[in-house]
Amino acid sequence: MSTADKTKKFAMAYIVDRCVDCKACMVACKAEWQVPENDFRTHIDTGIAPAVTERLSMHFLPHQCNHCDHAPCVTVCPTKASHKREDGVVDIDNRKCVGCRYCIPSCPYNARFFNNELGVADKCTFCLPRIYDGLMPACVTTCPGRARVFGDVNDPESEISKALKNAADNRYRVWTLRKDLGTEPNIYYIQK
Amino acid sequence: MTKCRISRRRFIQGTASVGAALASMSSFRLLTGSSSAVAEPQQGVTYAQNWCEMCFWKCGLTAKVVNGKVRKLEGQPDCPSNFGKLCAKGNAGVFQLYDPDRLKTPLIRDGERGSGKFRKATWEEAITYVAQKTNELKEKYGPETFSLFCHGSGQDPFIQMMEIMGSPNICVPSYSQCTGSRDIGWALSFGKPVGGKEPVDSQNSKCIMLLGRNIAEALHVGEMQDFVEGVAKGAHVIYVDPRFTKTAAKANQYMMIKPGTDSALLLGMINYIIEKEIYSKDFVENYTYGFDQFKEHVAGYTVEWASEITEIPQEEIIKAAEKLCKAAPRCYVHPGRRLTRYGNDTQFTRIVACLNMLLGNWEVRGGLYRTIGFKYDAPAMIEYDKSHAERADGSGSEEFPLGPKNLGFSNGTIKAIAEQSSPLKGMFIYGCNPLHHHGNTDTVRKAIENTELIVTCEIYMTDTAWYSDVILPESTYLERTEPVITTGRRAGFVQYREKAVDPVFETLGSWDMVNRLLEAMGYENRFMDISEYNRLAFESLGVDEEYMKKNGVFIGNESSPYPVEDYEEEPSFRTPSGKAEFYSNLAEHFSYPPMPSYEENPVPAEGEFRLLFGRISFHTHARTQNNAWLLALHKSEVPLWIHTERAKALGIKDGMQVRLVKEGFKSNPCTARVVDYIHPQAVFLPYGFGHESKGLTRIVGKGARTSDFTSDLTDPISGAAGFHNGFVKIEIA
Repeated sequence: MSTADKTKKFAMAYIVDRCVDCKACMVACKAEWQVPENDFRTHIDTGIAPAVTERLSMHFLPHQCNHCDHAPCVTVCPTKASHKREDGVVDIDNRKCVGCRYCIPSCPYNARFFNNELGVADKCTFCLPRIYDGLMPACVTTCPGRARVFGDVNDPESEISKALKNAADNRYRVWTLRKDLGTEPNIYYIQK
Repeated sequence: MTKCRISRRRFIQGTASVGAALASMSSFRLLTGSSSAVAEPQQGVTYAQNWCEMCFWKCGLTAKVVNGKVRKLEGQPDCPSNFGKLCAKGNAGVFQLYDPDRLKTPLIRDGERGSGKFRKATWEEAITYVAQKTNELKEKYGPETFSLFCHGSGQDPFIQMMEIMGSPNICVPSYSQCTGSRDIGWALSFGKPVGGKEPVDSQNSKCIMLLGRNIAEALHVGEMQDFVEGVAKGAHVIYVDPRFTKTAAKANQYMMIKPGTDSALLLGMINYIIEKEIYSKDFVENYTYGFDQFKEHVAGYTVEWASEITEIPQEEIIKAAEKLCKAAPRCYVHPGRRLTRYGNDTQFTRIVACLNMLLGNWEVRGGLYRTIGFKYDAPAMIEYDKSHAERADGSGSEEFPLGPKNLGFSNGTIKAIAEQSSPLKGMFIYGCNPLHHHGNTDTVRKAIENTELIVTCEIYMTDTAWYSDVILPESTYLERTEPVITTGRRAGFVQYREKAVDPVFETLGSWDMVNRLLEAMGYENRFMDISEYNRLAFESLGVDEEYMKKNGVFIGNESSPYPVEDYEEEPSFRTPSGKAEFYSNLAEHFSYPPMPSYEENPVPAEGEFRLLFGRISFHTHARTQNNAWLLALHKSEVPLWIHTERAKALGIKDGMQVRLVKEGFKSNPCTARVVDYIHPQAVFLPYGFGHESKGLTRIVGKGARTSDFTSDLTDPISGAAGFHNGFVKIEIA
């Protein structure tokens, strides 16, 4: 994989108001990485408040590997196949992965699966080769609602930095998943 | 899948150890134009421009080809249809290309119809067989004996072949099974049809009203992008539907309407807007016709009345009306997409048009914009004399004077074949599936029985192909170079399609196929070579081929889509009065009611449900369900939505297998989705499942086929179909 650029820290945000659960991200990722037929590296969940409550509402929650700063998958990996790169990406070295699967239940975000075709643990890599080639991750590139924003949080001019700043300026709700676990995720959720 | 999987796996394993190689291979440098620190793409990586054919919105895309194999598809950033984005279907085009379920060689039936017994044939055999049979049929029954059902980019050669053969019975089902009623209703009101790329300016809109137009799920990338932009900018979205869809999730106001009563809701709103005088007075006074008569006509349709019929509280109706008027003219009521609902849809769409007239939103930002076309001297692909014989389905006849002869009534033609009201004995099918798209499969079966020759051009063994005599396998869009096309949205543009790879199987493009058929049938007309056509077209367009090869799209007309606002142009309408017509002169001329009224629709009997159907965001019609990547998104499950209370009464629990039942006929099992957010009177089934063809190995026999249960009505004005008066019972499987 590309050498990590220490000056960068990659992160992604979902502007959840813009997600319509069309699943384009899921299929684009599958195409980019030849993910086995029934697996996906990214998902969208639907949350529904039923009519018995005050008002019907439905929310869409995209999720994938959170590239945690304190990643449990990295801690448990006995071969150091799962590692945190200096650019913030949690990556799996397929040559080192022995398929022990410790990492899969260790992930509180259920972001990992076992790739039966390759015999290794598998998950989102933020599309490493693409991002070092100046492109956006496949899911970001394809997202028709432009719900996904990606970039280097160390660069104030990156789209992600701008999106997070804009959210702070406008007092939008910004959160990460399971903050209580102290994993320090790098996937943000933004909602007006 | 096996073949494909092995090579993919090898590819990943190979590149995992040479990371840098993968890095450079992932480059879309041609797309982004950005210079990169990484080395130039390795030899063996090429890009081809195309437009997506997974649905009919024609998103511009670039295919990345690695060592002769398509690896990835991405949107063309400049294409006004999709601005660099692709939906799930578009992304799954790669799987379709290499799908082992594809039709691989021509097939000739070798057993009873429907037995699925075919023998492989060479192209020469298949072409000779079709030519011989068609010539025999023509001799025996005359040239009008042929019918054609076609939809898709490669349909033109088949249309032209029919015209050369002398038959007028050409049907493009998108008219009668989808947008016909809407376009006729709009033409009667505003003087022009809506067109396939609905010109609603969501991105600038302050208030958007959708009646069952499920933009997030019956998804067209460009339209959905605009909608999301509008939502993100804070547009007030009013969504009306008997069920709470993913589009409803984005709405500020959702109204669960009693199915089949949409026109009552709109008439109630119209009455309120006129009574309160909150309509756009300047527009109504200066640019509309028949307002006074209309005002009198709708006087009885009070909000109170509308509330009773629709089961929507009065204050909700008033709120919607006021929100729209407050936002006017930066607002719209969506004309609808598939307006084949209750068999009186032209009048419904007239009501939608009249409500838009009250909002004065013509060709301004946030309202209805003007589609910017593109004019150039297109070369003639083929020369021939067109037949002017009468159509068998009555389109354009005295009964249906507004029915367009070039599009025809797909449902009417099937009926004519089933009843043999004309000796229609030869059927050609291109990219269509009458067993799914028609309202009544019994009629289609009868039509199939009465036909002596059925020729299907397809990429998959569809249900209809399964009953064919000859199957001509078509190359997918990624394997075809085709004549350039022009498209219009907010800009007019040209799109270029160049094959990304040679055909994976023994398939042909439709131009090539039809050229051979014409030759074998003994006609002298031939299609021009496609690259020669493109050369001439580019000359006329003033763009060079290199540019198109690199960019795939050329914006040729950038006039403003908001001429009323930008050029201060007077709104103009091609109606008899030259104005937008509340009172339609043309309708009156043809003895239709000039002003729309409320018409009651039948309701389901005790214990029955109205069957509603529609699209989900990752499937198109009945053509993508067998795609493994898309199938994995819903784990092969076909949901049937049913209201909690009704389910309880039937003992149905969420996740149970249930069947749809109608007059002794039962569907395959579907998975019950027991929810509060569908009107108790209706059930909902996603369209396009329940295939019987064993050639679709992953999806055969799963879920219900809507056309087995829908109604088969004909709109008296447009001649288009009406599907939603189909009533079913539900039982546990």
